[in-house]
Amino acid sequence: MKRRVVVTGCGALTAAGNTLDGLWQALLSGRTLVGKVTNFACPELDSLSGAELVVPESYDLPASINGDAFRARCCHIALAAARQALVHANLPVQPEGGWGEGAGLVLGTTMGEERQVGDLSERWTKQGADSVDGGFLGRADNHKLAAGIAAALGLGGPVWLNATACSSGNTALAWAFDFVADGTADLMLAGGADTFTRALFCGFARMSALSKSVCKPFDKNRDGVSFGEGAGILVLEELAHARRRGARILAEVVGYGLSNDAYHVTAPEPNGAGFVRAIEQALATTGASPDTIGYVCAHGTGTQYNDQGEVRALKTVFGERAITIPTSSIKSAIGHTNGAAAAIGAIACVLALLHQTVPPTANLAEPDPEFGMDFVMNAGRPVELSACLNMSAGFGGANACLLLARAP
Amino acid sequence: MSGQPTATATATAAVTGVGILTPLGDNLALVAEALAAGRSAVAPLATPVPCAAARFADFDATRYANVRGMRIYNRTTRLGICATRLALADAGLIDAGLPPEQLGVVMAGSFGHLDTLIEYDRSLVTNGPSRTNPALMPLAIPSAPGAVIALSFSAKACSITLAEGGASSLDGLGLGARLVRDGRAAAVVVVAAFGLFDELVLSLSRQGQLAPADGFRIFDERSQGMALGEAAVAFVLESPAHATARGRQPLAFVAGQASTFAAGTDGMETSLARACRQALAQAATEPADLGLVASGANGLPSTDGAEARALLAVLGAAAQKPAITAVKSALGETIDASGLLAAACALATMGGSPAPPIAGLERPALPGLRYLTRPEPVGGGPALVTATSQTGACSALVLARNAHAS
Repeated sequence: MKRRVVVTGCGALTAAGNTLDGLWQALLSGRTLVGKVTNFACPELDSLSGAELVVPESYDLPASINGDAFRARCCHIALAAARQALVHANLPVQPEGGWGEGAGLVLGTTMGEERQVGDLSERWTKQGADSVDGGFLGRADNHKLAAGIAAALGLGGPVWLNATACSSGNTALAWAFDFVADGTADLMLAGGADTFTRALFCGFARMSALSKSVCKPFDKNRDGVSFGEGAGILVLEELAHARRRGARILAEVVGYGLSNDAYHVTAPEPNGAGFVRAIEQALATTGASPDTIGYVCAHGTGTQYNDQGEVRALKTVFGERAITIPTSSIKSAIGHTNGAAAAIGAIACVLALLHQTVPPTANLAEPDPEFGMDFVMNAGRPVELSACLNMSAGFGGANACLLLARAP
Repeated sequence: MSGQPTATATATAAVTGVGILTPLGDNLALVAEALAAGRSAVAPLATPVPCAAARFADFDATRYANVRGMRIYNRTTRLGICATRLALADAGLIDAGLPPEQLGVVMAGSFGHLDTLIEYDRSLVTNGPSRTNPALMPLAIPSAPGAVIALSFSAKACSITLAEGGASSLDGLGLGARLVRDGRAAAVVVVAAFGLFDELVLSLSRQGQLAPADGFRIFDERSQGMALGEAAVAFVLESPAHATARGRQPLAFVAGQASTFAAGTDGMETSLARACRQALAQAATEPADLGLVASGANGLPSTDGAEARALLAVLGAAAQKPAITAVKSALGETIDASGLLAAACALATMGGSPAPPIAGLERPALPGLRYLTRPEPVGGGPALVTATSQTGACSALVLARNAHAS
């Protein structure tokens, strides 16, 4: 018998702010936070556009974290989001003796601490092999992202680093859900983190996949991705455990679905068949009725391939009802935060369930007439909402969907 | 907080195929025979720094798999593709009609992308983005080796990469077992590969972690560091029912797997012991039932000490019962692949191969365990496999010949 798993806390650091309320108000406003990037640069790319995270000085983080030269930014923002999530859950950040074996963490990332490699490359041009120091491998080890948080908080349960590119946030939540549901842990932190990286900016620019202005998911004039920085962490807890301590239950994680396109290294399957399998698995393994889904937090990157595949998948699974389900993407508001994106999407779903309001897609002015969907535009929309579907897809074809429902 | 695993935390999954590539051989029988004969692949390495390592002399991926794009994939990815192909063939799943939607891949890959990322990023700096090979970028992200393997074998159920360093592949087996248990895939390939590259060797050498070329020993009072190695291993996992339905006799069962964390080496002993106890509880196996412990000890005194103390604590009165081996003594530290490599060795011993001795062990630093110094048949009892990462992840696995270990 699987145990029920609930969300009792959320923490997010994004360009929209460093508080949950800041994030929610920014999402509801329908404005974009994508703009000129000031603290990060790439060779040959004169003007970078993205949703940049400026970490406030009030956070207990190194003063230089906002500078281009700071190399461990991902690790630090993930830790800050984890602390924020615990505070939001009304839990101690560092209980006496640590959290122990009943609590763990699954963190997702697309690029991890890629800036450590960037740092090495620059030193290599001057020093060659002498530039490789003894600490390099440890700094570039992505598990350090999760281990750094776990060590700081005293977690003793499973501490995993999950890399499924831009579906990492949802798959991290999926493994954490399983750990709580099967009794391995009573409490898990889960989410994702990524910062701006040279590899992704330059690579996407070479593929002409970067938006020339600001990404416009589902718009007929969409022209590509806008990157963002961020970290999103959720506290997942076993229902009875949460009730025993009098926690405020924000939402329930009902289950998840996975699939892989196995179609192309970078392009998603155009007909959305992979997404279809992931959504259907999420519904089938949880016994949830498709009719309960009242909001879709779309992957919505603003590329032609993604938007088409995703809409086709929703129409395949939900049939005629698809065009009536409020659907939006938060990536045009806070950028595509890669490994954090699905985790922040899950937080948006939690907030939508709590406030019975769904966020709009910023910059969506002229929905592609081919789609005919109910895209939420301009501002938040009040709805009666019992369950949400949080979609994600990653480079290489990994898809993951998470089902969340109103607090029991 | 209770945190006690339930008996069903990791349901039994059947191992129906193994692919293995090591400098000692490219099938399990060959590798087991070489290990039992006391052969070691660890040899002096001259570059980039003098050290001891177990490297492939002449790895040629095209001997094992014909996959589009192989030429541009890095060594780890090519190794992983080949091990996956061998495992699927061993499981009878090549051209066997398994729907692609029912095949998943779980890759243990903490460092598998890193040399490509270094090459790509260095090219951005030295040549500029417009003169950099655009095909490299998608291969430079951490999930790329696993994604390429899944793509190469049309695995459409899932493509997952776990990155817990040395604990990755045992964690991967635990995850793979969950995926088949929950019906998310009929078969999951859990694959791990580790190819050496200069920056990795240089960094570990300069951190003082590598043993001198002639001084590599595990569990020995003279241990002074590890020797790196190269390897790839893949296990095919299925639900017992699925294996039976297609007429496959499982090679073994994943009877239990548990993951824990320790902040720093000080807590490693306690944390690893917890993982072992949880995995044994899931498998309903008592320490005295174990035939073999395939330890993740690697020659670093801190790791070896934590492993030995954890095993002493877990085995208790049965400390002299199971034979203790450490395949890294012959195959080196293969980080991401190390857990699967040890599991493969355990699987071979359960199948009748003598358990391999710990190469070079003469004076155990911490007595009390039954360290193997010569090959020995250990019977078909369950095996405990341990693994840790330098970041604090601990993982333990119980493999058993029967679906219910005890």
